[in-house]
Amino acid sequence: MTNDEKMTVNEAELFTFIDNDSIESERIIAPRYSYWKSVFRVFFRKKSNWFFLGALIALLLCAFVLPIFCPYNPNENVTRAATFNLSPAKALAYFKGDGKFFKWILGTGSQGNSIFYGIWSSARTSLLLAMICAAINMSIGILVGAIWGYSKRIDQVMLVVYNIVANVPYILIITVIVYVISAGFWSFVFALTVTGWLGIAYFFRTQVMIIRDREYSLASRCLGTPTLRIVNKNLLPFLTSVIVTLLATELPSYISYEVFLSYIGVGLSANVASLGRMIQEAQTSFITFPWAFWSPVAVASILSITLYVLGQNLADASDPRTHM
Amino acid sequence: MKKYIAKRVAFSLFSILVVLLTVMTLVFSLIERSVIFQTDDTWNKRSLNDRTYYEYSQYQKYGYVEMANFTGFLSQKYSEKLGPNYTEDPSFIADRAAIQSSSWSSNASVKEFISKYEDEGYEIIRLDPITYKDGKSKPGGTGYLLAVRERSSFARLADYLKGLIKVETINDVTDPALTDRYVRWEKDPYSGLFARVGSGTTHKYQLYFDNRFPFIHQNKIRLNLGVSYTRYRGQEITGVITQPVGDLKPVRTQFPSKVGTDEYVETAIDFHQLTYNYSELTQAEKENYPDRYTVAGYRRSGLSMLENSFVIGLVATIMAYLFGLPLGILVARKKDSWIDKLGMGAIIFFMAVPSLAYIFLFAAVGTRLFGLPYKFATASIKILAYILPTISLAIPQTLSLMKWMRRYMIDQMNSDYVKFARAEGLSEREIFSSHISRNAVIPIVHGIPASILGCLTGAIITERVYSVPGVGNLLTTAINGHDNGIIIACTLFYTSLSVISLILGDLLMAKVDPRISFESKAGR
Repeated sequence: MTNDEKMTVNEAELFTFIDNDSIESERIIAPRYSYWKSVFRVFFRKKSNWFFLGALIALLLCAFVLPIFCPYNPNENVTRAATFNLSPAKALAYFKGDGKFFKWILGTGSQGNSIFYGIWSSARTSLLLAMICAAINMSIGILVGAIWGYSKRIDQVMLVVYNIVANVPYILIITVIVYVISAGFWSFVFALTVTGWLGIAYFFRTQVMIIRDREYSLASRCLGTPTLRIVNKNLLPFLTSVIVTLLATELPSYISYEVFLSYIGVGLSANVASLGRMIQEAQTSFITFPWAFWSPVAVASILSITLYVLGQNLADASDPRTHM
Repeated sequence: MKKYIAKRVAFSLFSILVVLLTVMTLVFSLIERSVIFQTDDTWNKRSLNDRTYYEYSQYQKYGYVEMANFTGFLSQKYSEKLGPNYTEDPSFIADRAAIQSSSWSSNASVKEFISKYEDEGYEIIRLDPITYKDGKSKPGGTGYLLAVRERSSFARLADYLKGLIKVETINDVTDPALTDRYVRWEKDPYSGLFARVGSGTTHKYQLYFDNRFPFIHQNKIRLNLGVSYTRYRGQEITGVITQPVGDLKPVRTQFPSKVGTDEYVETAIDFHQLTYNYSELTQAEKENYPDRYTVAGYRRSGLSMLENSFVIGLVATIMAYLFGLPLGILVARKKDSWIDKLGMGAIIFFMAVPSLAYIFLFAAVGTRLFGLPYKFATASIKILAYILPTISLAIPQTLSLMKWMRRYMIDQMNSDYVKFARAEGLSEREIFSSHISRNAVIPIVHGIPASILGCLTGAIITERVYSVPGVGNLLTTAINGHDNGIIIACTLFYTSLSVISLILGDLLMAKVDPRISFESKAGR
């Protein structure tokens, strides 16, 4: 036996032939990727988000659950002048026999009303208003914006409409409408949504247009992918973070609008407790009776900041490029 | 380029018209119109039929309806037939008295009146005379015969636009007693220089000089944004916002008839603003004035509403650009350092917190810690009262500019040209100051005209908190006071400003960035 022969024998023993497996060769060896799992992984990696999320849940509980058990009655002490405009210490002393410690922890307002109960009832109104307006504006805005961005014929018509409406200051529209159709919760919602969606639609249209003309979308279209599938698979994943960013700025802005409009005197009607109305009623004496003024201001501010920060961070997390 | 601008301007005018028409339709048709009488003394003094007649005449004045009065109809009819002495004609007197009786509808002139106006679509309104039992007329119970027609929004808009620019002519004064009509140069005893003086024009002085900025003034051409309904009852809105609003400022001067004598008076009357007086002159007026131009405005100190808002807004805007842009560049350079985090924290705070909250915060801090005056009206040194409103406007504006500058800078920082500049060995400082910031500032430039012109609309909350006498609250107080005149004027004013600033912004951006062009591109 020669050396050469020995080698061949050995090789034949060591190696075996494997058929080319076409299915196996298509498999991509990479860790499993789930979009929403990654979103939450990135979101909760940031420690501050836990804090803000906890704060938001606490605020929501206070605003939506507390008023059920402790209903706010602004006129309960209206006949007792001694209870008007009490500081927290005085209010607690005055209502000692009451047994309700928290009710008077922030003092009383100009009608002897409990500020602590008042701010949470008001916060519920503000939150409901913000959520309803955001839901209406966002869904109409996104739907119209998507069609507007996708169809060039609609684009021409909508641009004319947009250019006319965008020339009018938003404040003018809201105040004139609230003025014309008397103040109330739903007329307020109407005023904020009647043209509010247009700005969102325009913003969304631009985003859709940018992605619509990208090369990979063009390639999909050339390959004959149906429009709905292109929207689902090519556009929406990119637009999720845009939508969340929008939401993060929209929600606090409605709270601001309500405060602002109540302050200038065209806000919600008198029988609805709202943060804006509480601020407006307390603002004339904000140096002498600071509690009545700063408490609703603080709630509006904390609510807005929490919603804004959480929204921005969620938007960052929902951008697939941060999922590395 | 010219074609593009012309197209833009034409479209803007169109959109302003659409907006005006919409707001007019909304305001005039959906709001209860009787609210204009809520604070009207004349309405309170009148009663019964007189009050109803007054209501219709006010509705006509404010553009709600077109109205014809039977008495007016008779005057016209008989003066055409008989000349100026028609009032003594027995048939005129009989016709005029006819509507005070119960058999009014059988009168020939009444029938003529009714058929004429019914054909034109008017509604005939008969107010029967209200009498006591003995047949004597109750006070305000005079009978009326009126024809009333609603005005369409289009007619209202057309009238509004027609009256928008007023040019005074020598035929302005409708008093037939005035025969001497002229406009000529005369020596002006109040300035010592020459002035253009008119007779027959609404204002006596058409062009004059005085010692108030801008020293040369004219009354010939006026922009008339409309008349206030309730808040500044009957005044022209342009005048309301452009005339000083401070305290009366008396000076030692002479009445027009006393010029040349040694009779001096201490008065705040501004003799350069004299207008024609239609009513009977009092004895004092006859002594003090050589003609019927006796109605005058008063000299006031301080700034006008428009100037107040503009000064505060402009200083705040300049401060915002001076501080905001460098700060934005700074935090972009130090991205993710503590200074960036501090800046972002401040930005988030001011973005999310309702503006009302931080303006009150500034007010509290400014008055408690620095002793600055809080309310404008009670400030002993007026100039100090401007500080807090200006700061309250400047800080959020600075932070917003800083936010956008940082955003645009960071967007540019990853561009290829920056990597290339770095590869070429340029220093970081050079890259930031002459490459990135130049590109980043382009979108910022677009907003400059808007922020400057926006100062003219005033700041609603800031002005309200510090009670600044500015234009910011014109719209909101008009809405609370049901003042349609001011609402329409504000709509036109705000809309025009925003349209102009958008066009200027685009042009300025094209000027700064030669890559931007408004010529239409082929294949698009």
